[in-house]
Amino acid sequence: MSTTPLELGAAEASRLLLQTSAEGGSAAVGTVVGASDGAPQHRGARMALVRHPEHGASTHGSLGDPSADAAAVERLAAALDDRRARDGIRALHVGDRQIEFYVEVRRPIRELVVVGAGHVAQPMAHMGAMLGYRVTVLDDRPDFATRERFPEADRLVRADFSDPFADVSLNERSFLLLVTRGHKYDYECLVRALRAHPLPAYIGMIGSRRRVRATYVQLLDEGIDRALLARIHAPVGLDIGAETPEEIAVSVAAELVMLDRGGTGVPLREVERVADRFFKDQDNI
Amino acid sequence: MTHEDDKTLTEALVAARQAGRACALATIVGTRGSTPRKVGARMLVDLSAGLTGTVGGGCGEAEVIDSAHRVLETGIPERVRVDLTEDFTTWSPAVCGGVMDVFVEVV
Repeated sequence: MSTTPLELGAAEASRLLLQTSAEGGSAAVGTVVGASDGAPQHRGARMALVRHPEHGASTHGSLGDPSADAAAVERLAAALDDRRARDGIRALHVGDRQIEFYVEVRRPIRELVVVGAGHVAQPMAHMGAMLGYRVTVLDDRPDFATRERFPEADRLVRADFSDPFADVSLNERSFLLLVTRGHKYDYECLVRALRAHPLPAYIGMIGSRRRVRATYVQLLDEGIDRALLARIHAPVGLDIGAETPEEIAVSVAAELVMLDRGGTGVPLREVERVADRFFKDQDNI
Repeated sequence: MTHEDDKTLTEALVAARQAGRACALATIVGTRGSTPRKVGARMLVDLSAGLTGTVGGGCGEAEVIDSAHRVLETGIPERVRVDLTEDFTTWSPAVCGGVMDVFVEVV
């Protein structure tokens, strides 16, 4: 592991996090934000642990003494290893001092691959970018996957739907949305996606119940394992009554957030029931 | 924070740094109760270019900006606890119902 023990400032740390995640790596940065003895001398000191797909592991910065640095790296590694780790303050024990260590983690950036550059794709690309995905839009019609129509897309790819992912590498950070102009194309892309190794994190396909059922029949006929059907999100999105392309994109975006954050998709009013729980016996709330 | 927010803030940070301007960075490092922004939200206070990002959108932001001014003067990072729980019934825009811990440092 390479080490760069120079002082790590906020700007450099911020750039390190951003760059690592954009390049497909993970990084954690810890900042000293307080100490049990209240001494401010190391407040603001930072240390980073980077795991880069090409350059391997490296540490950057220092908290000012070797034992603190060792404890910090251990904390940062634990945060990177825990998929559910949230950004926040961890306690760092160094000798008889307890340091408050604020840890931030960035994972590899996720990619939203929108297959089909039609009406739903436009608001979807927009919302995907808003949610922090790197957006790729793919179509076989060059007039559709254009910069004018998709200003926020990272990549516009012209592809034949019989081999849609030739120029797009799918991996466990890919979120795939199938919204081509024809169900036949959606199906062809779906089969390809289900045979990809590794499988994409998310495969969503637009379509009515009847269409989805017909698709599943066809998939099983083609020899696709039944267990794989559970990996398909179809019909795509949350049930919010979406009709227009924009509404459908909201519904899909909501599903992506829900899966990412582990939400239920139930209205918060019904989850919290504030009126029922706290104002049951009152006429006026 | 989304990747885009991250990018905007990082660009502002790096630009200020390269221009040699003194700026203060405020980061929400802890929250309790309901707060408008969550842990990790950041705001850059650049005395000549203004604010980038937000730690509260009005909710307690004034306190953080005060702290940024102090930090720029002394060079010593501060930890500010912003209490948004008072006067629950006033409907003031600053009432959000939580407490947040903000770390403010010179960049």
